[in-house]
Amino acid sequence: MIDSTREDRLIDTFATLADTLVADYDVVDLLQTLVERCADVFDIAAAGILLADADGELEVIASTSEASRLVEVMQLSARAGPCVESFTTGSVVSLPDVEDSPPEWQRFRDSAREQGFAAVFAIPLRLRETTIGALNLLSSVPGALPPQDVRAAQALADVATIGILQERTLRESMSVREQLTNALTSRVVIEQAKGVLAHSRGISMEEAFTVLRTYARTNRLLLSRVAQGLVEQTLVI
Amino acid sequence: MSMPDRLAATEDSLNALTGHESRLFEPLLALLPVDGLSISTFGHILAAETISASDAQSFRLDELQFDLGEGPCWDALETAKPVLEPDIRERPNHVWPAFSEAIIAENFGALFAFPLMLGPLRIGAIDLYTNQPYRLGEQDIQHVEILATVVSRMVLNRALRLSESDLVGEADTATRRAFSRREIHQATGMVLAQLGIPAADAFLVIQGHAFAAGRSMLDISSEIIDRRLSFAVNEQQIEGSHD
Repeated sequence: MIDSTREDRLIDTFATLADTLVADYDVVDLLQTLVERCADVFDIAAAGILLADADGELEVIASTSEASRLVEVMQLSARAGPCVESFTTGSVVSLPDVEDSPPEWQRFRDSAREQGFAAVFAIPLRLRETTIGALNLLSSVPGALPPQDVRAAQALADVATIGILQERTLRESMSVREQLTNALTSRVVIEQAKGVLAHSRGISMEEAFTVLRTYARTNRLLLSRVAQGLVEQTLVI
Repeated sequence: MSMPDRLAATEDSLNALTGHESRLFEPLLALLPVDGLSISTFGHILAAETISASDAQSFRLDELQFDLGEGPCWDALETAKPVLEPDIRERPNHVWPAFSEAIIAENFGALFAFPLMLGPLRIGAIDLYTNQPYRLGEQDIQHVEILATVVSRMVLNRALRLSESDLVGEADTATRRAFSRREIHQATGMVLAQLGIPAADAFLVIQGHAFAAGRSMLDISSEIIDRRLSFAVNEQQIEGSHD
């Protein structure tokens, strides 16, 4: 057996995402798949997607790890760091060495350093002139992302945008704002469902997410449906 | 209108009074066979205060119990059960040293007190009276208990709204705010599973607990997630307990 090349993995990723988009899909699950594939394809330590809420605050909607410290470094980046820079400018922001962060990014830099991230890249999620969020790639080794990787990452970010904005349009006519709120709300329910499982099974939040996702996969159910069932206490898993 | 419909309509009427909590007695008085009622907060969480009273006599009933520190409403909150006195003057089930004495001159036939609680939070009570002795039916008792939950939620929301405390809000920096939400949602999930209540109520329980403890919701949420704080159900009573 030969190792698949990165191009193969990339093509495979697009194929998976394309398959998802034609069926009834769950936006959080799709974005989760996407960040995991990103980490794999670009050989990076972590990846995450942040979306702007109704107040324009960026919130983590999917990340390769549910560990709160990873979420925190991404939130800091969304406050003053590459993520918010990418979101406001609508362009790719590369930080090949976090030590080169400007002074106003100090809290982000400290947190990234503490977590062992040496380079961070933020790719905007764009719909024409509107930016709805950003894809974050975090690497444990310093160095720039090759141009072809930047293009591939932008293509994946575009798929994420389509995934977020298309989900509801298929059924109802909703504004971009409503669709974003919807995606963020389903994340809230997933967090609550993790709490339910953490309590009932005596497991960590991270384990709870795995249980939740595995159950949804195995039973061919939407992640958000499973989460909702747990929160409304109509489903016990 | 059928009874279940009337109950549902009363719930709707109560909910519609958000921001006008002094009128909360109106839908209850319309539904229940009583001459007057009041809704008050007291205990460890909220200051002693009459939120809504149908008449001067109800208001007086609250005032007496606050001043004396005893009476049906205190017992209802203490035991987390209704206190029913169908004939308070001639055949009282319970005699309170000062309160019983104080109401001799008042025109009460029956007194009923129902606790206001949400999860582990003891908030206050609904006091109802009739001028003549009267026995509340099983159905009426059930209805008041259901409606007491609706009222509890509204009264707690009102207190949190009025407190304008940044402790209960998710102040700090916007970063902390966005980040903390995630943990608050996770903690909400744990609390709803512990108590078997809706997510919105579990959120309110965390908020109310934070308010009562004078701490932030994030702090309380971290304790819940780390399992240092849990709201366990002990028999019929619910208590917040620290390990």
